[in-house]
Amino acid sequence: MDKGLLAYLLIPLLSAVIIPFAARSRARLADILANVTLLAGLLNLAWLALRPSVIAGGFADIPGDGFSLLLVGAVYLVGLCVTFFSAWFMEDGQANRPAYYSLILASVSAMTGVVTTTDFFTLYVFIEVLAVTSFALITTDESTKGIEGALKYFFLTFPASALIIVGISILMLSLGSLSFETLRIFMASDVPPGPVTFAAALIMLGFLIKSGVVPFHAWTPDAYQGAYAPVSAHLAGIVTKISGVYAVVKLATLLRFFDGRAAALSEMLMFLGLLSIAVGALAALRQKDFKRMLAFSSISQVGYIVLAAGLGTPLAIMGAIFHLVNHATFKTVLFLNSASLEKSAGTTDMEKLGGMEHSMPWTSWTSVIALLSTAGVPPLSGFWSKLLIILALWEAGLRGYAALALLFSLVTLAYFMVMQRKVFFGKKTQAAESAPEVGAPLLAPVVLMSALIVALGLLFPYFYAYAKMVAERILL
Amino acid sequence: MTYHNLLFVLAVFFALWAVTAKKLLTSAIMLALLSVTVSLIFFDLGAPWAGVFELSVCAGLITVLFIGAVSLIRSDEEKHPEGRARFYALPLALAAFGIAAWFYLPPFLEELASWRRMAAGTTTLGLAIWDLRRPDLLGQILMLASGVFVIKSVFPRRTEK
Repeated sequence: MDKGLLAYLLIPLLSAVIIPFAARSRARLADILANVTLLAGLLNLAWLALRPSVIAGGFADIPGDGFSLLLVGAVYLVGLCVTFFSAWFMEDGQANRPAYYSLILASVSAMTGVVTTTDFFTLYVFIEVLAVTSFALITTDESTKGIEGALKYFFLTFPASALIIVGISILMLSLGSLSFETLRIFMASDVPPGPVTFAAALIMLGFLIKSGVVPFHAWTPDAYQGAYAPVSAHLAGIVTKISGVYAVVKLATLLRFFDGRAAALSEMLMFLGLLSIAVGALAALRQKDFKRMLAFSSISQVGYIVLAAGLGTPLAIMGAIFHLVNHATFKTVLFLNSASLEKSAGTTDMEKLGGMEHSMPWTSWTSVIALLSTAGVPPLSGFWSKLLIILALWEAGLRGYAALALLFSLVTLAYFMVMQRKVFFGKKTQAAESAPEVGAPLLAPVVLMSALIVALGLLFPYFYAYAKMVAERILL
Repeated sequence: MTYHNLLFVLAVFFALWAVTAKKLLTSAIMLALLSVTVSLIFFDLGAPWAGVFELSVCAGLITVLFIGAVSLIRSDEEKHPEGRARFYALPLALAAFGIAAWFYLPPFLEELASWRRMAAGTTTLGLAIWDLRRPDLLGQILMLASGVFVIKSVFPRRTEK
């Protein structure tokens, strides 16, 4: 475990335990405690990574492998946006308010555990904590759809856990240790891999189910659509990315796909990645509900990360890492905007919405920024990560994959354009007439994230230096 | 040896309690205690890894899941009368088991004890948990805390209705 980052796990846990006691008589204290905890953590991280001296030194002073630090930053950022948004979104009299914030902080704590651990079993324990907290969070408002989504999430992710634990035990039998480092050293040696790759494949399969990659995506749209509105942003923005996609990328680096020792696994992963991109994008084209469309778009974007992880070259890993962070920014914006729509217009059905741009201009234009970034339009951040992935594919001689990845990027643009026209542009419908723009506190996290999308795009050279440092440290 | 046998007796006791308990929650807790006992037996037999994982997965994680699931069940659903007639056969089954155990259990326990003597002094419980799997403990604490939050999140909604 990365001890330097342990505090980022312990402090939210501590706050989560304090909240139910502190907020017993004044429920609002729960909001304040949760927000302050996450904001303090985020400022601390910014001090660690974004001091001028650190940037000038090419990020050489960053402790650990840099990957953990970056993801802890993403976890805290999305967590803060969600808690800040919830503080104003949640009804005043809601009985389980303190428990809601405790669960969010516990999930932040668990995600920090996931990204800082260096051992497969510890990873498993933290991922299960994440599954438990997500299950309770999805059902926060107790709608029938939420419970349906939560149950589907349960039924599909627990077989995944079983696969992971079987894989871990085979790994334990064949390697004698569960640490990441042992696997990495083993894969770098010349010993025939034998059962080790089989174990890794089982673990990988489990994590693919948890990340909602096609053909294991059945739970994703229902869980995202049915979840309590701010929770779907938390879930789609960061939770499934950490509990599934992060582990896939980590395994890809440990298995050293680029030197061809686990070629079959690498090819399989790339194929599933491309399949996800295609199926997610084509299904998103046909959706009528805003949140459901975003869920399919999420499946498609996860496909890009998995495709890059399957390729496994340093450039591809850089692209995967960058796309993971980008995905957290733009999906949070889009899901929080869908929550604003739900609050203001009372529906997320795209047939009933229309012309929302006139009454909700901020929501509309932040959506435009996020969707252009998702589709990979320059100079927004999504463009750079997709460019890195496509370049890596081209460089490795996989021109067909590169061309298809590019093509489906255009399909992404198409379905988002259709969405934007149906929901925000065009004639005002009845729902739009009576829907005012949401208040400034609800817009603040969305505007912050949109600014970040633009900033990450424009300041790409700095981010490239960081991602390069990470790729060098975790691969070489 | 006494400690060892005591663990076996406790395991059987908790297992029986788990299947005969009227309340689902009691049943889940007894199952957790059974897992704790089994993991202590693992430690005693010199399998610290199996013990730690049993403790982590079964006693910690599965229990939280069970308790979470039980808390989701509506209170009126618990009031259905259940057929407990089949449990009246339990003493008979226990007697049959006792007679069989009289013959088979002593040599089995003796063999286990010899394994235990072989394993003595390799890894202690504290060493296994604290030195080998310290980060897991953190995960366990987080898991238990989450379990409490899940219950706190689900129960107020129930009582409201």
